[in-house]
Amino acid sequence: MDIFEDLKKKGISVGDRVRLVCASGEFEGLLMPRPVTADPSVIVVKLDSGYNTGLKPSSVTLVEKAAQRKASPTEKEKPAKGAVAILGCGGTIASKIEYKTGAVYPSITPKELRMAFPDLERWKIHSRQLFSLFSEDMNSGHWRILADAIEEEIKQGSKGVVVMHGTDTMTYTSAAISYMLQGLPVPVVFVGSQRSSDRPSSENEMNLLNSVFAATQDLGEVAVCMHASSNDDFCHLHRGTRVRKMHTSRRDAFHSISSLPIAALDYRTDRFDLLSEHKPRNKGRLSAKKGINGNVALIYVHPNIKPELISRLDSYDGVVLAGTGLGHVPTEALGDKSVKSILKPIKELVSSGIPVVMSSQCISGRLCMRVYRTGRMLIDAGVIGDGADWTPEAAYTKLCWVLGQTKHMKEISSMMMENIAGEISDRSALEGSL
Amino acid sequence: MKIGIEIHQRLATKKLFCNCPSALAGDDEKPIVTVQRRLHPVLSELGEIDEASQAEFAKDRSFQYQAFSNNCLVELDEEPPKLINHEALKIALQVAAQLNAKPVDEVHVMRKMVIDGSNTSGFQRTAIVAVNGHLDTQKGTIGIPAIALEEESAGIVSQSEGKAVYRLDRLGIPLIEIATDPDIKDGAHLREVAEKLGMILRATGRVARGLGTIRQDVNVSTDGGARVEIKGAQDLKMLPLLVKVEEQRQLELVKLLYEVRKRNGFPVKNHAVDVTDLFKLTKAALISAGIKKGSSVLAQKLPGHKDLLGKEIQPGRRYGTELSDYAKKAGVKGIIHSDEKLIKYGISPAEEEQLRAAVGAKLNDAFMLVVAPKVQAKKAISFAVERANMDYVPEETRRAKPDGTSSFMRPLPGRARLYPETDAPPSPVTKELLSSVAKTESLDEKKGRLDKMLNKEMSGRMLRSRNLHLFEKLVKQGADPMLAATTLEDTVVSLRREGVEFRDLEKTLTELFAEYRKGSFVKAAIPEVLKGMAKGARAEAVLKVYRLQKITGPQLKRIAEENGYDMKKIMQKHRLQVDPAEVAKLLKKKG
Repeated sequence: MDIFEDLKKKGISVGDRVRLVCASGEFEGLLMPRPVTADPSVIVVKLDSGYNTGLKPSSVTLVEKAAQRKASPTEKEKPAKGAVAILGCGGTIASKIEYKTGAVYPSITPKELRMAFPDLERWKIHSRQLFSLFSEDMNSGHWRILADAIEEEIKQGSKGVVVMHGTDTMTYTSAAISYMLQGLPVPVVFVGSQRSSDRPSSENEMNLLNSVFAATQDLGEVAVCMHASSNDDFCHLHRGTRVRKMHTSRRDAFHSISSLPIAALDYRTDRFDLLSEHKPRNKGRLSAKKGINGNVALIYVHPNIKPELISRLDSYDGVVLAGTGLGHVPTEALGDKSVKSILKPIKELVSSGIPVVMSSQCISGRLCMRVYRTGRMLIDAGVIGDGADWTPEAAYTKLCWVLGQTKHMKEISSMMMENIAGEISDRSALEGSL
Repeated sequence: MKIGIEIHQRLATKKLFCNCPSALAGDDEKPIVTVQRRLHPVLSELGEIDEASQAEFAKDRSFQYQAFSNNCLVELDEEPPKLINHEALKIALQVAAQLNAKPVDEVHVMRKMVIDGSNTSGFQRTAIVAVNGHLDTQKGTIGIPAIALEEESAGIVSQSEGKAVYRLDRLGIPLIEIATDPDIKDGAHLREVAEKLGMILRATGRVARGLGTIRQDVNVSTDGGARVEIKGAQDLKMLPLLVKVEEQRQLELVKLLYEVRKRNGFPVKNHAVDVTDLFKLTKAALISAGIKKGSSVLAQKLPGHKDLLGKEIQPGRRYGTELSDYAKKAGVKGIIHSDEKLIKYGISPAEEEQLRAAVGAKLNDAFMLVVAPKVQAKKAISFAVERANMDYVPEETRRAKPDGTSSFMRPLPGRARLYPETDAPPSPVTKELLSSVAKTESLDEKKGRLDKMLNKEMSGRMLRSRNLHLFEKLVKQGADPMLAATTLEDTVVSLRREGVEFRDLEKTLTELFAEYRKGSFVKAAIPEVLKGMAKGARAEAVLKVYRLQKITGPQLKRIAEENGYDMKKIMQKHRLQVDPAEVAKLLKKKG
């Protein structure tokens, strides 16, 4: 007998009080949703002690139907002049338990979040949910929607914009928005949390409140606001094109690469200490250049990489390589025939009009492709990037953006090498060099 | 009266949700990292915030966690938990089988919200492993509704207003939790149940040993009283007394409440009067010192409470102490009340009269005082008044004191707020898992086996002993059972009393008996050899340095000769080096 067919027939659904007869005894409790990955012959009940447990019943009877819960009316949030706009994209910072998979799932509206964090009362805010996505599911289409929404908020007179975002790809989005919206008259602050919001220890509260605080500062840039250390004491504000997630799980996973963070901040003490140069709020007009082309590949160069892998990239409009060291790939530069060079397919991509951009898997540091023969061969092949100190993600999103602006190879090349939003620095300062 | 017990036993495995060892850091070990954290309320599945936890969080407390070299990111709440420890799960299933409990089909890990900071995550992970068990005792069958696996909490280092410091070496050690139904008949029965459960746990050979590794929480409720949980009973011998004292407390409270009602003592209106000015020139040292430091003195009337605050409801603890325990929640040292001899605080009769007038206390009324900074004192008074207005025996968690009395810790938590732990998927209890669970001998089987090795008295002691597992190991290695038992139960115990400490008792005794089997020393020398070994020396070296090697053969003969073949003389001089049986044989031979 299929237990769930049987339940359906008896009109028993999740939340109902049921009595189970099992080999281990008789039990009463509330029927809980079953994780989809679990054994289909096991059903999960919440016992009166509050514990959930999985049991294989020989029979299930209904004791009492669950009371119907009223859906709470959803109010529309109106943009208010001078308020900080909080835009929800999903992610752990605004997540809830999803019983179907037993996993944490983004689903809380920004309004619910305001209820959860009474300290938000310090600021005039309004909020809206753009989408509820795991950050790994976001793509350039979502960047466009987000850029539109931020532009609209700015036009409506928002004092600053906070974007709640999953942490996994947050720095791709922050970099993309940095290129798409230039000359920002208000700060655009991305925020997330590494611990899901269903834990009392989640750092979401501190990160969120600090991000709203940051959004009220004199800053005309895209930034990311996350924990500075494992302590719940203050946050760092990182430049949107300079920041990278450097740990899978720690609160202080986000680091500024080859630079210092913009600021250290703590809303509780009104602390906003600038640590590096920043752009103040732009008094002029916002320059929105929202064209974006997501048909770009990012390839991690590795030993044994096959030339065919590169040739097959010809369906893309652009390719970013995360090369080794100073910006290298296997090129057979020393004439050793045992090497499988990928130089030829790279040349072919470039000559067919597909720009190839270099970045380094060292993450920190500058590309110096003139030092070794390999690098010089790549430059000769038309690979873009020598001298840049961008992160692979900043280079990747930049190429997406540049390809959204122009199709001319020459222009692509010069736009790539022009610093737009701090992704390329002109000197490698000692501070923050690792 | 209804009595139940909850036992928490630490396991000697790795931690429940990470691969860190369960060993505690040494006293002299310094934390390698200290982090500062805060906790905040979370939305439930229904999008609501629990009011009780909201109130606790309102305290705006910060927590400091000390991490040691044997901690990892999981205990620091910087990495998701690993799957539930299967070793621990198997031990729990092994215990469940002994208690006739049935394993669940799938183990679901839950988060029990704890807001005092004792868990870095803000919750304790807990999971039911088996259900519907029972334990047979001399006074009937005791129901065991559930056996669970839980994480141990972090150990508290210090606590002050708004801040608590915890150490993480303890956090995450697996605990088996066994809770009984309230089927226990009386204090002596309670002790029997606790002892039996302890034996069953130790019989697995996989439980941690040492102070604090097993904890008993006793639940007592009387007719007309309430369910009260008493934590921290250190000794099983204490359990009957604990129950007796709690029963008395509840009965006395019921009588006292009747009296308060009769005198129209309810409700007590919260009206704290600032009487600081009254004590401007006081000789009461405690009060004048407080005022000098900027404290206020607040007084509160307790209508109809005269002589009731001084009424003893536990040996040495009065109704006033109960009120005082509540006041302490505000961080004050306690209250002073009018049923005390106020003169002992230096409060003069004239001041007492002025106090009575200030709060408007008539003949039958009582009053209390709190000396503390004003806001805090106000809070303390309102907590004490809250307690005074309970016209029933409150459901409480109390802490046991060594004399069998108890003091208030916190209100009994309502049905625990449990959320699913989404980071740890359910673990199926498969046939393969169950068949890999070690079988334990039943207590009867074990008793039968011990009876064959030891005399009756020692067999009974060994069965109850925390050293049972070690005893069996030593015997298996070839130690003489009676000698191993007396060494463990008597020699080691009295040496410890003398202050001798053993770093690794198992290693020491294994070496001791191996050396003994070689015939290199005699029984009488064992305490001395152990003393030497406790300092870290090898047995062989101890024998040499302290001249404890056994004297035998020609050397013994010579000694016998020197002492005129006088047994008494020989033993007096060489007790620690000669085997009396061997001497006797020699003397017999000599005729």
